[in-house]
Amino acid sequence: MKFLKPALVLCAASLVAGCVDNKRNKTVDRGIDSKHLSQLQAGIWIDPKGCDHWIIDDGAEGYLSQRLDKYGKPVCSGTAPPNTATGAYKSGSTVSDPI
Amino acid sequence: MTGGLSKFARALPGRMAAAVMGLALAISAAGAAAAQQTTVIGERYAPTIWVDPDGCEHWVMDDGWEGYMSPHVNRQGIPVCRRGNVCGVMNTDQLFRTDSAHISSAGRARLVNFFHQANAVSYIITGHTDSRASDQYNMGLSLRRANAVARVAAGAGARIADVRGYGERMPKASNNTAAGMAQNRRVEIICIR
Repeated sequence: MKFLKPALVLCAASLVAGCVDNKRNKTVDRGIDSKHLSQLQAGIWIDPKGCDHWIIDDGAEGYLSQRLDKYGKPVCSGTAPPNTATGAYKSGSTVSDPI
Repeated sequence: MTGGLSKFARALPGRMAAAVMGLALAISAAGAAAAQQTTVIGERYAPTIWVDPDGCEHWVMDDGWEGYMSPHVNRQGIPVCRRGNVCGVMNTDQLFRTDSAHISSAGRARLVNFFHQANAVSYIITGHTDSRASDQYNMGLSLRRANAVARVAAGAGARIADVRGYGERMPKASNNTAAGMAQNRRVEIICIR
């Protein structure tokens, strides 16, 4: 289950304050896989129209953002069929994610 | 009479637009004054930047539970990138005669060689012209030339993701000098890896 991030379970167990507060700094991931968000590892997800998006599965968080060319148009590379994700998009976090 | 009427009708939208603009200005002036008193109910979500493998920036945030991401584009919708993946710029003077979209056999051989060596997953091919002739003509010519390059690429076994003609609208250099215009007459090849 995606929301059962071990870090959160740990926090809940030890009642460490600051785990479920309003996280002020949105530019870092914290917990076991703490890091600055510039370190994320992306793969490619092909949407139903055949166009590319960067996909990142970072343990508890998931990210998706459009792949655009220099003119701002979608990149539709044709590397994989629609509705598939390829690449090492799950490799950036040590937090296990069974799904 | 009808002439007078239609003249009035033509002038009307202009007058209405002026009136609407005046109104909008008044509202924004009032809005600015009001904005100093209103409190925005919200939470601070300041992003950082993630650079994708193409070299382009994305806004990214992690609020502790969820992650958010969106491309960093300017107000014209052009992505903000630290590097580009244009892998080939073909000067069209070397491929085509003036106003022609026919590639010489030497040009064809050069292109085939280029696509064999580039070894990308697929290619986006965009044609461009200098600012001489009309915008409409240049849009057509640049697309015909981009398509000519794409046909050679496809013949060489390359996968083409998209073909576009931008005419004179995306200049690379100034059209005020002969050298600048020569740089603008080009077919750009974007390599998708």
